[in-house]
Amino acid sequence: MAEPVAKAFYRRLNLRRGASLAWASLPLSFLACAFFLPLANIFLLGVRADGQWTTAHLRAVLSDPYVRHLFSFTALQAFLSTLLSFVLGFPLGWFLTCYRFPGKGLIRAFTLAPFVLPPITVALGFFLFFGHTGYLNNALRSAFGLREPPLRLLYSLWAIVLAHAFYNAPVFARFIHAAWNAIDPALEEAPSVLGVPRLRAFFTVTLPLLLPAIFSAAALVFVLCFLSFAIPLSLGGARYATVEVGIYLYAQVYLDFSRAAALGMAQVFVTLGLAYFYVRAGGLWGGRQERLRPRSTQPFLSRPAHVLWIPWLLLSALLFIGPIGSVIADSFSRPLAGKPPGLGWYRAIFSREQSPFIGTSPLGSILVSLEVAGLSTLLALFLGLGGSGALRVLRSRVLEALLMAPIAVSSVVLGLALLLAFRRPPFAYLSDKFALVLAHGLMFYPFVVRIVRPIWEGLTPSWVEAARTLGAGRLRAFLTVEVPLLSQALLVAGAFCLALSLGEMTAAAMLSQGELVTLPLSIYRFLSARRFGAASAMATLLIVITVAAVAVWEWLGERTLRAYGQT
Amino acid sequence: MRKFLVFLWVAAAVLGVGKELVVYTYDSFVSWGLALAIKEKFEAMFPGVTLTWVAVGDSSEMLSRLIAELKLGTTRADVFLGLADVELPRALAYNVFQPYDPEKIPNLADVPPELIFDGTGHVLPYDHGYVTFVYDAELLSEDLVPKTLDDLLRPELGGKIIVMDPRTSSPGLSFLLWTIAHYGDGWLEYWRKLMPNLLTITKGWSEAYDMFLAGEAPIVLSYSTDTAYSYIEHGSLRYRVITPDGEAYRQVEGMGIVRGTKEIELAHAFLNLVLSVEVQELIPTTQWMFPVNARAKLPAGYEYAVIPERPVALDPELVGEKLEEWLSLWQRLFIGG
Repeated sequence: MAEPVAKAFYRRLNLRRGASLAWASLPLSFLACAFFLPLANIFLLGVRADGQWTTAHLRAVLSDPYVRHLFSFTALQAFLSTLLSFVLGFPLGWFLTCYRFPGKGLIRAFTLAPFVLPPITVALGFFLFFGHTGYLNNALRSAFGLREPPLRLLYSLWAIVLAHAFYNAPVFARFIHAAWNAIDPALEEAPSVLGVPRLRAFFTVTLPLLLPAIFSAAALVFVLCFLSFAIPLSLGGARYATVEVGIYLYAQVYLDFSRAAALGMAQVFVTLGLAYFYVRAGGLWGGRQERLRPRSTQPFLSRPAHVLWIPWLLLSALLFIGPIGSVIADSFSRPLAGKPPGLGWYRAIFSREQSPFIGTSPLGSILVSLEVAGLSTLLALFLGLGGSGALRVLRSRVLEALLMAPIAVSSVVLGLALLLAFRRPPFAYLSDKFALVLAHGLMFYPFVVRIVRPIWEGLTPSWVEAARTLGAGRLRAFLTVEVPLLSQALLVAGAFCLALSLGEMTAAAMLSQGELVTLPLSIYRFLSARRFGAASAMATLLIVITVAAVAVWEWLGERTLRAYGQT
Repeated sequence: MRKFLVFLWVAAAVLGVGKELVVYTYDSFVSWGLALAIKEKFEAMFPGVTLTWVAVGDSSEMLSRLIAELKLGTTRADVFLGLADVELPRALAYNVFQPYDPEKIPNLADVPPELIFDGTGHVLPYDHGYVTFVYDAELLSEDLVPKTLDDLLRPELGGKIIVMDPRTSSPGLSFLLWTIAHYGDGWLEYWRKLMPNLLTITKGWSEAYDMFLAGEAPIVLSYSTDTAYSYIEHGSLRYRVITPDGEAYRQVEGMGIVRGTKEIELAHAFLNLVLSVEVQELIPTTQWMFPVNARAKLPAGYEYAVIPERPVALDPELVGEKLEEWLSLWQRLFIGG
């Protein structure tokens, strides 16, 4: 009697598992068609010659001592950059989680501003601020009556590491902020009730609970720094070339796609290998918890000890606001027709006479960028949630690392793969705007996976089980229980996707058929016509639009959540 | 005569109704406004035809995108404009262009033969310019202004020069080729000695020039029309061109008809238009290069634009053959190999 019941139960369980698998395979098969197959096609160039399999290209590339030098330097700078990003980003995440102060939402949105800036604008900000004749050196010189610039930071490895931290510290900050908010406050309060010192409680309770998010962020940041191309060249100099420069050289200068593909493969092997390591390490500390109530925050400066934060805040302001502020100041101060411009450069970029210089109207450029960013964010959230769901069913760390591929491949290889995918049916029929939406969705979903996955793993299954017991279907349980519990993470992930899409250039350059000129492309257009002031004004506009878009997204999201009693 | 013009107009209209000519070029061709001027003239000549510019990267990025698209057989490009002369061998090896018909390009008669760098009849020149050094007269004292390439090695100039990376920038590559043409086998030694005087080697021209304007260094690698530019646009003679040893490296830029296009007649008409006196006279103040049409007049202020006594240029064939070897030797300077 009992046996058939058990059998039926197991059969149902398998069916359910099958249904989840089917749901999860939807985004996975889309990714396979639109990204992984074309990518494999490109990589095949690197291992085939005259219809035969060969390792000749790989051997030719890897036996070059210069290429080996590129790998070791690239890994070194990526490691140092990840470390510094963590050191700067962790306190920022902490600060955002534990305190409240006026304008917090705006400041949180501002942390994503570095993300959208094209490397050329960041380089401009860095040499205007940290350069030998930059603001900082001039201030120090006049303060101490020095003749020579005291701070020689640029054109060195440290300039590269600092600029990478400028870009990526916000990744750590936002990931930690999201994970910390998901920790059950009761777990953190328990030790103090038991009389354990706060510091010890932090290291024994809070930090271990944050480790999966920290490793998840580290995986991303390491990969992003490993693939960096323009920043090392622009701020360090030709001496500091990365592997990416080698791939560019093969593909763009020698037009030798076989060796470019071979080097690209070696590079992706390293980046995904390390991503796998981080994913594994993050998984080791994964734990489950039941979160019953939202975390409370203290008003900043409500206690004297908070003053200790101030030196750190000043230092971060110097690093983050210095370069960005310099670009903004440049847009108001660079002479226009021999006079101080005031708003002149802004009037110029919106005037009809200037629009030939970017080939589109600036307003059109802004609207199309926002439209692409909005739609691709929704797509990335869908793909990322689907991918994370698939990983819950399949539980493969190799697959998890592999799903990071869109951000782990060289931008040269990515560009070629996108060209391959989007110049063939069915995607060839899309207008360049929608092609870009699809491409951005494909490129940015790994951010969603990285941020959602550790938090989803941390959710206790009992909630879903409770909903199922009460008769909810799997989909309904997912939509009514898991999605709301993941909503904070999804909000942050969406903010990243918005910012990334607004600043992206590889796909925009590959897929544009002439009409589509996004904001970063128009910055390059102004620069190439020596309109440096207009480029700074456009970059300022890009910062403002990004901060506004992210702030509105998070504000709307949090309002919706509050309506459902989630925060 | 009038009847003939009407006939021409009708013929053009019939030829072109609802057609599109797609031209790939680099971004600064659009951003100086020349692309729009050409579009207006072209569309007025051929009512009903749309001229579309696709310009989303520099010359080498657009060329490699075109090559990749040709491999897939799905490019929309009918004409490519902006091929650097040193890229010619690679473009020909990948069979990017189809030969033009000189009969259909009457304006070709005004182009001096020494500027026609492609003997195979695929690519036509449309402008030329000279890569050289520019200094800031307010930051560099007169006695330090280099008169020869050797002067650039003077220890007083330590950290005072910005050049561009030959791997990622076309003026950067021109300077590398210039040192090879000037010093022969001694070029690598020259670079070794030059290193201490370089503040940095930037990825592209924009960053370098922007740093130069900000006063980070008083000497920058740029173009021989820079003084004319700052004189015409800003009335300033602060930034001055030098031609060390009377030399500067010549760059000729070319255009060609993309293999497989269906718009052969329109493409020829386009090439002819770009070579016409009216378009060529726009080149000096938009591209800041010299026109190739001998009948085109230079604008006022161009007396400050320098054509060197001895223009330097290596044979594109030789460059195509040796570039990889040269660049890899140059790269190894940095790891001391």
